[in-house]
Amino acid sequence: MIAQTEKSPNKIFNKSVLSSYGTIIAGILIIIIFSVLSPSSFATVDNFINITRQISLLVVIAVGATLVMSVNEFDLSIGAIASLGGVVSAKLATEGVPIVLCILIPVLVGFLVGFINGSIITHFNVLSFVTTLAMGTVIGGFTFWFTGGSTIFENIPDGFKWIGQTGIAGIPMLSIIMLVLVLVFWFLMTQMSVGRRFYAIGGNEKASKVSGIPIKKYKTFAFALCGMLAALTGALLASRLGSAHPTGGDGYFLNAYAAVFLGMTVVRSGIPNIFGTLFGAAVLGILANGLTILEIPTFLQNVITGMIIIIALIIQKLGRENT
Amino acid sequence: MALLQIDKISKVFGTNKALNNITLSINAGEVHALVGENGAGKSTLIKILTGVYFPSEGSLHWQSNPVKIGSPKEAHDLGINVIHQDRQLISYFTGLENLYLNTKYPKSGLGINWSVMHKEAAALIEKWGMNIPLKKTVSEMTPSERTMLEIARAMMSNSKLLILDEPTASLTDKESELLFQFIERLRKEGVAIIYISHRLEEVIQLSDRITVLMGGKQIITLPKEEVTQERLIHYMTDGQASMGKNNRAKPAIGKTLLSVNNLRTSDHVVKQVSLELHEGEILGVYGLAGAGRTETMEAIYGLRKIEEGTIAFYQQLVTNPSPAHAIEKGVVLIPENRHEDALIMGNSIAENMTLPILSKLTKGGVVQRKEEDKLIDREMNRFQVKAVNKYQTVGELSGGNQQKVVFAKALLSEPSIYICDEPTQAVDIMTRKEIHQFLRDQVSENKGVIYVSSDLHEILEISDRIIVFSEGRTVANLPNENIKPDDVLEVCYRFQKEVVHE
Repeated sequence: MIAQTEKSPNKIFNKSVLSSYGTIIAGILIIIIFSVLSPSSFATVDNFINITRQISLLVVIAVGATLVMSVNEFDLSIGAIASLGGVVSAKLATEGVPIVLCILIPVLVGFLVGFINGSIITHFNVLSFVTTLAMGTVIGGFTFWFTGGSTIFENIPDGFKWIGQTGIAGIPMLSIIMLVLVLVFWFLMTQMSVGRRFYAIGGNEKASKVSGIPIKKYKTFAFALCGMLAALTGALLASRLGSAHPTGGDGYFLNAYAAVFLGMTVVRSGIPNIFGTLFGAAVLGILANGLTILEIPTFLQNVITGMIIIIALIIQKLGRENT
Repeated sequence: MALLQIDKISKVFGTNKALNNITLSINAGEVHALVGENGAGKSTLIKILTGVYFPSEGSLHWQSNPVKIGSPKEAHDLGINVIHQDRQLISYFTGLENLYLNTKYPKSGLGINWSVMHKEAAALIEKWGMNIPLKKTVSEMTPSERTMLEIARAMMSNSKLLILDEPTASLTDKESELLFQFIERLRKEGVAIIYISHRLEEVIQLSDRITVLMGGKQIITLPKEEVTQERLIHYMTDGQASMGKNNRAKPAIGKTLLSVNNLRTSDHVVKQVSLELHEGEILGVYGLAGAGRTETMEAIYGLRKIEEGTIAFYQQLVTNPSPAHAIEKGVVLIPENRHEDALIMGNSIAENMTLPILSKLTKGGVVQRKEEDKLIDREMNRFQVKAVNKYQTVGELSGGNQQKVVFAKALLSEPSIYICDEPTQAVDIMTRKEIHQFLRDQVSENKGVIYVSSDLHEILEISDRIIVFSEGRTVANLPNENIKPDDVLEVCYRFQKEVVHE
């Protein structure tokens, strides 16, 4: 290693810069490219505010995924939980339940589902990957039964749509909710003992156990919080659309993990972190927004987005191996 | 003519010489035993012969030709095979399938020709007079059948040198006897065997020559005729008398801190362990590999399930053992495996140090940074941890400094009972001294220390009393007064024999 550094200090330096800031540089490059190609529609204040609203739901669900990944587990049921949250929320709204409860009840349901996920995984010591995949299927089936397979959109009061469709002083409510949640969970992960313990478990479960941390309790808590945020995402989505489809939240699942992984490339040590996840979601959001403005067809958008994620991962890996 | 000539082989890891100038010849049809305490260099030598490590110095000759063994595959191709304690078998494959793991399957067209496979395998075990149920999966086989299966697999490729690493560790007496007969047969066929075992009687019974290793050095190679058990033990301990140990006043032994009574773990690795630790005492725990020392410490700390027996801290029975409970009661474990059990390598020094006491440093869920920093700075200073700052990642520190972080972390939980499992393993001499001094200071403040080590000299140097473990049992309780290493080792081997022949 040392010999290598002496031989080609410049090369090593570049690689370490790439690994630390590669994703950030790429993000800035993307913004510059879109701004040059489409200055009149992309590079406007309105569009940037628009982007914060577009990424808000992705950020909320991805923050949950970040928590579960910080304890070194996966939750593949978040898409299904979001769908469930959406239909429960919309159903309650059509029944004339107060708006606060229309959000709160699905959030509690999501917390409960996550709690069950975590309890099964920690109690029986089974793989989270498979357990949550199966749980996602169970929830999907339940959601389908609950709605009879059709979209809930009739008799939804306007008050329910208020959260998803209005704003304060030109800033969308969804963007404000996103920002508040990011700050709350950033605080939880970095300033509170809960976050320290999550990261300790993710870093070395055995050593954490020796240090007296009740592993099962904390892992289950991470899953419960993740389920809660997934269901909230679904409820907010229903409010935004004024309707809820039984598979409406499913699409968020892959993008949520893409955002977390991109976010992990932002910090040197490559651990899941809240600001990184926000950044990762922003890169995905800006790409989607800019490519749409440039009228790039959807299939090509998918190709470009996927390739950018792969490249970001490779660059970070290369940089880390050489430092 | 020697089959394998090992010439002045050395192996260096960092600053540590794991092997120092080893010269051996292994002849065809010879059983050559390697004996020595843990860390003597036996495993390193085996890894060099099987292409896992490359020697730092020295050369190897195979049938008089110089060779470089660059990978386990190259060793296998030469005809060198090793049979490890932890078996290299796939447990849900049948015996037959496992037999062919390293070899090409006989084919008919695209498919596997099972009937040829059966015939070849049957001929092989017939030729060697082995009794292996080839149709059973490995998980259904007895330990001895598994050992035989591994040997059979090695013989599939006409092995010329077979290395057996503690082959009798999990065998009963009868099974061992069968294995010995088989080894005799291999020997007659001209196969060379390197035999590693902690069981000295079987080593003496089987071997043509015995080489004693200690601290990576070759102490002596003795032919069969000159070997006695006393002589071997003498060489294994370098013939040193007790180091006179602790140059300190006899401690005032106080109240009982910890008592363990007839402990037996659910996995039966610990079979019957009883011990007591008092205030102001360093209790040395010694035993050969597999004696159940680490497992006992884990059980006391709440990391291993208990089937029978009791544990009491300060005369109070522990009803529901867990690490959290132990820490709360002032018990702390310094685990044997620093990387896996003691530290979170990717986290900072600071985060590691306060992990067990986070609750105390938390108000309303928020970690009180100022208080935390004060404690961390104090311990960084006390232990003289060499690091850029307290936010440096623990994985970047040297072994000695990592261990200082482990001790600082332990001290922060304000324990009165220290359970140290190989605390000076892979640390430099200075840190080792500091650790010894630290523990002595702690016992002078009426704390108690359990000190587990595979290094007998170290045990004799630091302990007030020594508990000897053998095969999952406590077999002796010796006050450390005028004891020689030979005495302790003899107890180990004597009880091992008795247990084996039960």
